[in-house]
Amino acid sequence: MPTTEGAARVRAAGPAEPAAPRAVNRRTPGRAPVIAVLTQLAIWVPLGLTALQVVGFTIWTTWVSFTPSTLLPESGFVGLRNYVRVMRTPNLQIAYVNLVIFGVGFVLLTSALGLLLAVLLDQRVRGENVLRTIFLYPLAVSFVVTGTVWSWLLNPGIGIQRLVNNFGWTGFRFDWIVQPDRAIYTLIIAGAWQGAGFAMALFLAGLRSVDSDLVKAAQIDGAGPWRMYRRVLLPTIWPIFITVAAILLQFAIKTFDLVRALTEGGPGISTMLPAVVVYDFMFQRSELGRGAAVAVLMLLTLVVVVAPFGIYLRLRARRQARA
Amino acid sequence: MSHVTRRGVVAGSAALLAAPLSGRAFAAAAVTPRLTAISQWSAGSDGAAITALGRVFEQHGGIWQHNPVPGFTTEMMNKLRAEILAGNPPAVSQLKGPEIAAWSKIYPTINISPWVQAAGLEPHVPAELAASCKPGGHWIALPLQVYRINTLFMSVPGMKRAGVTTPPKTWAEFNTVAAKMKAAGMTPLANGGIRWDDGMKFEIALAGISPDAYRRAIMHLDTKALRGPEVLAAFAQLRKFSSWMDPDIAAQSWAVNVPAFMKGDMGMVLMGGWAQGNLLHAGAKPADFISLAAPQDSGPPCFDLNADCFIFWQQKAADLKAGQTLFAQIMMQPATQEMYSKITGSIPARTDVDLNQPGFLDGQRDSAQNLRAAIAGKRVLLSLAHNMAQPNGTTAAMIDVLTEFVHNPAIQPPDAQKRLVGAVEGA
Amino acid sequence: MSGAALRAGVPSAGSRIARSRIARSRILIYAALVLLALAFLVPFAVVVLNSLRTNQEIAATSMIGWPRGLAFGNFASAWDGFCMAGHCWGIEPYMLNSLTIVFPATVISTLLGALAGYSIALWRFPGDAWMFGVVTLGIFLPEQMKLIPWVIVLRDLGLFNTLPGLILIHTVQGLSFTTLFCRNYYVSIPPDLLKAARIDGAGFFRIFWRIVLPISPPILVVTVIWQFTGIWNEFLFGVTFTSGAHQPVTAALIALSAAVTTAPQFGVQSAAVLIAALPTLLVYLFGGRYFLRGLTAGAVK
Repeated sequence: MPTTEGAARVRAAGPAEPAAPRAVNRRTPGRAPVIAVLTQLAIWVPLGLTALQVVGFTIWTTWVSFTPSTLLPESGFVGLRNYVRVMRTPNLQIAYVNLVIFGVGFVLLTSALGLLLAVLLDQRVRGENVLRTIFLYPLAVSFVVTGTVWSWLLNPGIGIQRLVNNFGWTGFRFDWIVQPDRAIYTLIIAGAWQGAGFAMALFLAGLRSVDSDLVKAAQIDGAGPWRMYRRVLLPTIWPIFITVAAILLQFAIKTFDLVRALTEGGPGISTMLPAVVVYDFMFQRSELGRGAAVAVLMLLTLVVVVAPFGIYLRLRARRQARA
Repeated sequence: MSHVTRRGVVAGSAALLAAPLSGRAFAAAAVTPRLTAISQWSAGSDGAAITALGRVFEQHGGIWQHNPVPGFTTEMMNKLRAEILAGNPPAVSQLKGPEIAAWSKIYPTINISPWVQAAGLEPHVPAELAASCKPGGHWIALPLQVYRINTLFMSVPGMKRAGVTTPPKTWAEFNTVAAKMKAAGMTPLANGGIRWDDGMKFEIALAGISPDAYRRAIMHLDTKALRGPEVLAAFAQLRKFSSWMDPDIAAQSWAVNVPAFMKGDMGMVLMGGWAQGNLLHAGAKPADFISLAAPQDSGPPCFDLNADCFIFWQQKAADLKAGQTLFAQIMMQPATQEMYSKITGSIPARTDVDLNQPGFLDGQRDSAQNLRAAIAGKRVLLSLAHNMAQPNGTTAAMIDVLTEFVHNPAIQPPDAQKRLVGAVEGA
Repeated sequence: MSGAALRAGVPSAGSRIARSRIARSRILIYAALVLLALAFLVPFAVVVLNSLRTNQEIAATSMIGWPRGLAFGNFASAWDGFCMAGHCWGIEPYMLNSLTIVFPATVISTLLGALAGYSIALWRFPGDAWMFGVVTLGIFLPEQMKLIPWVIVLRDLGLFNTLPGLILIHTVQGLSFTTLFCRNYYVSIPPDLLKAARIDGAGFFRIFWRIVLPISPPILVVTVIWQFTGIWNEFLFGVTFTSGAHQPVTAALIALSAAVTTAPQFGVQSAAVLIAALPTLLVYLFGGRYFLRGLTAGAVK
């Protein structure tokens, strides 16, 4: 995420620049209090709105997860009953296994594809604008729409398989979407198609902002193009890998439309993902308490996954600050 | 019964205008009736039908404010939930089965029993359907239309190709026909890949094996019946179905298979009565297929019922109250139900509507006849997959088991039966 | 600063062997790019082809195929012909609904995000580190979880079922992203610049107005594109918090695709999808270059 990496930066910069401005005004004494109040407002209104939503809604959801709520939120306390119940359903167990497969596969495939596109586009190619737009357009269109198209393409009866079969290669099979143990990979394919453009944009942005002196020095050392990427450019932009991974991970965890448009959770319940389970329990089954429990479990998972990462960044920032 | 015969859609609404309605007089005296309504019917023939209903309401001097929420039923319920939370539900909203009872607990509804009595509706509605509309003993919701779920469609070219002359009447005959079709290189079952489609196959199997076991196991969740031999046999039949289905359907609607069915590459469809609409819209002629009740192992065909209803929410504004009165009266009119079913392809919820008139098709007439016979023989069942038999939470948990079973041949019927019992207990 | 291969190639340009090797690698590069571009375009092409086929043709053959004729009528009926919710006016009014939601929500969330990003990046205030954490957490919350809390909030504010209510939702939901984008851009503003401004007596607002905003366009383009497409494509909140004729265009698209009892209207549906995707496609087409520039200018550092 630009964010996490940026966090390291500001922390690194923090002690080095103690002169960062403070929210005090030294101008004409009469207007000072008014401006000070306005300043506080300008700082706190947008942040307050965000915090209210994030913290408030999270606390609310946690509360609901301990209540017997079904159709509507109700008060009452049922302890961990909702958690026990949802953890016993195969839906949640499958969703978690799938989240690992999908999360890893989606992040790896999308960043690999994005990096490939970025490196290719970085070769001063003609028509870069057009090509870039082609790789970015999947981001512009709702997955409710493109997911439907992908569900046609990946469908063996009407999609790519049928097309190839009709061209004469009758033995060709591409029917992962109907196989319970492979269908999750079709989500990765469609997801990578949508997200690769964004990864490409970030990588390309990184490649283009590498210090030209660094490149020149490497050239003088006689580095060839691939060596240049492997030894100089890619190591220099490694923080972008973290940014890309974090953004894609965030997409992976929240994935919902993709499943609904492509597989509806099937075949069977083999392509459930946690966000789908949350929606399913909360709204389709009218089990608000259980849906909230799944949402809380999702957030806890997130903390477990992201916390070590945050700690690492903090340590790195501290080390850099000391250096 | 005879006063509504031989009238088309337009004539039907004209007849409605002519029919004496006390609400109209009431409206003229006090306020202009207004109706706020939520449904999921926005486009296609569903959208056309509800729009036509709105026109009738307007012709009676009412203001029609329909808010369709497109997408799945879930989105419609989200909207309803939001409006109830905000303290402002619509005057009426589309709701069905046990959800009527569940939702009526979270916001006050109105007692419409006097109107139902005045219209003489109750004797003409299947008791099972009426029960779902009056969870607390009095009517709070009204049925609009009914579909038969246990319907078998046979492709005429497919029958020729497989050398089948008569449609199967029992599951044993069905299995023979399907095997013949398979041997002829066809896909015997044209199915869809959405989860309720899998659930529906199971319920049609069980209803055909034993309506009584269905009633006890699915509608009453009787553990003994759920563990009984009929449910096990239904799973075995479902396993057979799964080997005859289109393996390539994924999450597509069954409508994708309509061309293959029309050509005779696929032989049969087990689907609700609306499949007729799919076929006709795709260009099939009535002679291209036959539709009848799905196989029944003993006795006359049962009727596995799916119905759409409107629930009436308590209102404060006088114009909305007047609108509810007027709407209820219009909805209960045989002419309205007739008009509605002609557009959607369903059958009227009122069993006293005569379908021997232009605008109805043989499939609808067969369904209506089947319903009347099933009421007399106490063989009316409520659909599981279409949320008529159980509340949504229980239904979803049960369908999880059914859809997994269909897509995973490694699961054996006895194991699936245990899972189904577990799902019911855990829901 | 781009084009490592080319840059590396320049010193040895004198040698003929090297030149032919470069030519070969150029061909490979273009071949790979064109192949990938074609692969990326497949779903788009399928929609375009279907938008030119009649419903009967698609129903009778397959979802993927070459049009037999050119059924431009699909576009006409998609735009202002097909019936939804009792009105036969196509997706045109729903497009307008979406525009009236997307413009204010995009502008407000971008401006507030710039302000918040500026506060977090350049001003020290109590709890700023915590705030940063909370904002970051915000991008990870699943939307589904927020639906009912939003109903309660809008009800209590008296904004339920109103356009301002929906704009408020999209604004606040977007704030996490816009704040983070802007913050990460602003942290790279040299501290000396701010120090000098402060010595001149400039306060919070003057620094924002005179120094920060003028250098912000690249990052604002990024947030605008992000917000515009996100809000335009949103469905769940759009249908829950609007009614009837006020629904967004995504609702119309779903309505078109969810007619169970009729034959699916694939041709019209595809045409509607193309029309509905036009604004966001245009935003990427014209904004794509600036999008990249904004990211390059610091969003990812």
